[in-house]
Amino acid sequence: MGVSMRDGAKLAVAELNAAGGIQVGKRKLLIEVVERDDEAKNERGALIAQELSAMDGLAGVIGSVNTGVVMAGDRHFQEKGITKIITPAAGSDSMTQWVTAGAKDLSIFRFAAADGIQSAMVVAEAVRRGFTKVIILHDSTNYGVSGRDDLVRQIAAQGGKLQVVATEKFNIGDKDMTAQLLRAKAGGAQAVLIWGIGPELAAVANGMAKLGLKIPLIGGWPLSMSNFIDNAGKNGNGTLMPQTFIEEPINPRVASFIATFHKTYNVTRMASPVSAAQGYDAVLIFAAAVKQAQSTDTHKIKEALENLKEPVPGVIATWRHPYSRWDPANELTHEAFRKEQTVMGEVLDGRVMFANQADKDRLAKAGMGR
Amino acid sequence: MDPQIIGQMLVSGALMGLLYALIAYGFQLTYATSRSLNFGQGELVMVSAFVALTFTNLGLPYGLMLPAALAFGALAGLGVERAAVRLALRQKSEGWIMLTIIVGLFLASAAENIWGRDDRPFPTPIPSDPVHLFGIDITPLELSVALGALGVMGLIELCKRRTLLGKAVAAVAADPDAAELVGISATRAVMLSYALSGMVAALAGVLVSPITTVGPTMGAVLVLKAFSVAVVAGLDSGFGVVLVGMFLGALESIASFYLGSGWREAPGLVLLILALAVRPHGVFGRAAIRKV
Repeated sequence: MGVSMRDGAKLAVAELNAAGGIQVGKRKLLIEVVERDDEAKNERGALIAQELSAMDGLAGVIGSVNTGVVMAGDRHFQEKGITKIITPAAGSDSMTQWVTAGAKDLSIFRFAAADGIQSAMVVAEAVRRGFTKVIILHDSTNYGVSGRDDLVRQIAAQGGKLQVVATEKFNIGDKDMTAQLLRAKAGGAQAVLIWGIGPELAAVANGMAKLGLKIPLIGGWPLSMSNFIDNAGKNGNGTLMPQTFIEEPINPRVASFIATFHKTYNVTRMASPVSAAQGYDAVLIFAAAVKQAQSTDTHKIKEALENLKEPVPGVIATWRHPYSRWDPANELTHEAFRKEQTVMGEVLDGRVMFANQADKDRLAKAGMGR
Repeated sequence: MDPQIIGQMLVSGALMGLLYALIAYGFQLTYATSRSLNFGQGELVMVSAFVALTFTNLGLPYGLMLPAALAFGALAGLGVERAAVRLALRQKSEGWIMLTIIVGLFLASAAENIWGRDDRPFPTPIPSDPVHLFGIDITPLELSVALGALGVMGLIELCKRRTLLGKAVAAVAADPDAAELVGISATRAVMLSYALSGMVAALAGVLVSPITTVGPTMGAVLVLKAFSVAVVAGLDSGFGVVLVGMFLGALESIASFYLGSGWREAPGLVLLILALAVRPHGVFGRAAIRKV
């Protein structure tokens, strides 16, 4: 995820720089990238956040894959008022923590479909398919636990139509999910609602095949990661997950992004299309904020982000006023994604496709008006 | 409770347990000759699996890849013996503890740098579609783990008991100095045991990878369980590890079903503490009498 996000972001940076840079006053400024790898470790992320927030002349930060890393590091950015756009970490806590803390002002923005949106879609999909009994499986990280809470909340909010026959967890690195899945079998679950990250998700899909459990796996967007799709192989077919971007050339803008990405990085498939597209669009939005602020001062960029006047044509959508002034009672003011920018994806023979033709048609049309 | 579900858990757990037993057996092999263990055994499993994957990607068929991977494992075992164990043994120090851990850490970093940090699928000709036996689903892959583990352990045990080489190794285990006096090279016997131990690790890697995928952290989880098995069974009982391994595997499945998946590891650890308290030389081990 992190590598795809970085590659998408760098593609946008390269394109902006190739076009001469961002016009600030009479000068055109080139974007310079400083890269850090938090290795998905919370403590490493905290150190990097400290280092970056002490850096001179830093205009802003884009990134973080893991909700745990965000929780450990972002307070350093907030203390110094450094503008950060979180992508692709989706855990709800990343933004709601600031509501809980009662932050009066906030320099942290998110550019990913938050788990709140995703869990609502997952539950709605299960209800739409007429299921009544489900099992909830989640990993034991911050991300998995907060995803489980979101699912439970959503099931209640959507009328309690789903009966949860069991709630089970697994650890990062677990390979044998037999016991958890047998509880699904014993309880007569019709779908597995799951919140976790790639390799363990694949272990679940493979375990289901072993036990002859032919029910759909529906869960958070990491189900579109290549390390799920490749490790699960044919057992991954039919898996459903919310996506902000699907690697199908549905309109010219998307087609050109996909082609350039493949050519630049010499691949035939993005490891994580969602991360790549979000990284790309996040840079475009950030650049638009710099242009509007007419400054590289991180505080001024933050002000501009909260009130972006020009629409930003990205590959996921054309972003019109994605953020607004921070409201300490409503984290949605700093969340760019709503349900409209999120669709259901479905794994089919090693790729993620649109699960619903209607979404595909809608997005294809949206991208035509460039 | 549905007996089929219990049966499924017992069988799936026990099959996984045989893998713990196989890795635990690797500990026993070196302990028998030199009273030393390779604490980097898990990393040997992991590196061998990656090497096997590389062979497969180079186009080697399974029948050639397996012996090549086993040969690599044996060489790696010899490497560990030379780099981390031999000098410490000669000095009669416990330095091998730290040194084998260091070799393991080195292998883990090397693997991350060479093959990357992601888990990868391991292609295999053995089918993964389940076979239905008495209401229990078993995949041929799981059976291959069981057969491979039992087969190689049986073979080595047989050699130990029936061949001259095996007896020589047993002599070194009993008293290295006396063995040297009758012309058996203790160093060679220790080398042999490390080579075999590395080979066993490689076999474990090749067998488990199609089920668990290959990744730089795959060894760490397995080896901790295997170590428990070796300690509970006793470090000198080949058949003990098989029984304890299967028991621990089944116990884990049952525990995570009835107590909840968060408690999966708990019974194994309780078992380890109990065993150390009640029978410190292992359930199937022999109490060593040391003349002072």
